[in-house]
Amino acid sequence: MHNLARFSWLWSTALFAICAWADPVGSARQSSYALMSPENRAMQDDPSQNPATFWVLDGESLWQTASGKRQIACATCHGTEATSMKGVAASFPKFVGSALLNLSDQINVCRQTRQEGEPYAPESKPLLALTSYIGQQSKGLPIAIERTPVNALALEAGRTLFYERLGQLNLSCAQCHAERSGQKLGGNPIPQGHPTAYPLYRLEWQSVGSLQRRLRNCMTGVRAEPFALGSKELVELELFLMWRARGMLMETPGVRP
Amino acid sequence: MSKTSRTLVTMPKVAAKGEVVAIRVIVQHDMESGFRHTQQGERIPRDIIREFVCTYNGQEVFRADLHPGVGANPVINFFTVATETGSLEFKWVGDNGYTSSVTSQLTVS
Repeated sequence: MHNLARFSWLWSTALFAICAWADPVGSARQSSYALMSPENRAMQDDPSQNPATFWVLDGESLWQTASGKRQIACATCHGTEATSMKGVAASFPKFVGSALLNLSDQINVCRQTRQEGEPYAPESKPLLALTSYIGQQSKGLPIAIERTPVNALALEAGRTLFYERLGQLNLSCAQCHAERSGQKLGGNPIPQGHPTAYPLYRLEWQSVGSLQRRLRNCMTGVRAEPFALGSKELVELELFLMWRARGMLMETPGVRP
Repeated sequence: MSKTSRTLVTMPKVAAKGEVVAIRVIVQHDMESGFRHTQQGERIPRDIIREFVCTYNGQEVFRADLHPGVGANPVINFFTVATETGSLEFKWVGDNGYTSSVTSQLTVS
């Protein structure tokens, strides 16, 4: 009897641990917008308060500016209307040929092959501006990343990275953002880590930044050497995170504390 | 920072005479404090907005001095009383010859 009680106690503890440690799925998923103060939410919702609006406006003028050797603008091929790239940001990262590209990579590919100009530096102001401008056109649309035979390998590589412990603190992304989301870290709620609002204006950065910049922040946080901007690993992780957030609504350009 | 930059002004277009009008202005600026260093250890020189002035039909109604502790893309909320139909001019002046100005119309009924 004593053994049976002990066994059932162990069993229920294990079951509880499994339930509590699962990655939230479906409608249990939550954008970190929900964790923000009313002031910060208002800042994101109102374009006249959202500092990322400046990047969107800069992106709009870059969109219409002829550039590169061929002196053509993005608008020359894609159209001038502010909705010509609707839904595009919700479908990246994706495979273009044999390369997995995020939206910023795709902008640079266009710059090199169509405009025949120099690519923008990673995390540079014009690149973030164009990415924000294109991203903002998908605001309110569901993230549309599906698992396909083409992206399955990269998606699994991203998943492996998400669950892999790294750094001197020996933590994986999942240990905080899947297993302990909603709990506190240093007084702040731990978000589920859904990249719905990138590129976003982070008050801590005083600037707009990309998802890769944010991922590198977390890696520094666990005292790992961060993957380089534009590295294969970061794009794979981006792909997995976007797939994990599939169906959630885009908020670009977001504001986060 | 370039010599000028984008601004966003939020205020009503129409107001009754004597009404208190809420104005919110936000300006694009890095507000480089002058206290930061590059990874090579070189100090990044200060480059901030120093002054903001709002004039209502040429008369100054609001002024603010900005300092290195003010964050990037500063927001200023203030109020004025609608006295007569006319224009409000908002002007920011900063280091390295920076100036931005924008004018909004207010109709007083």
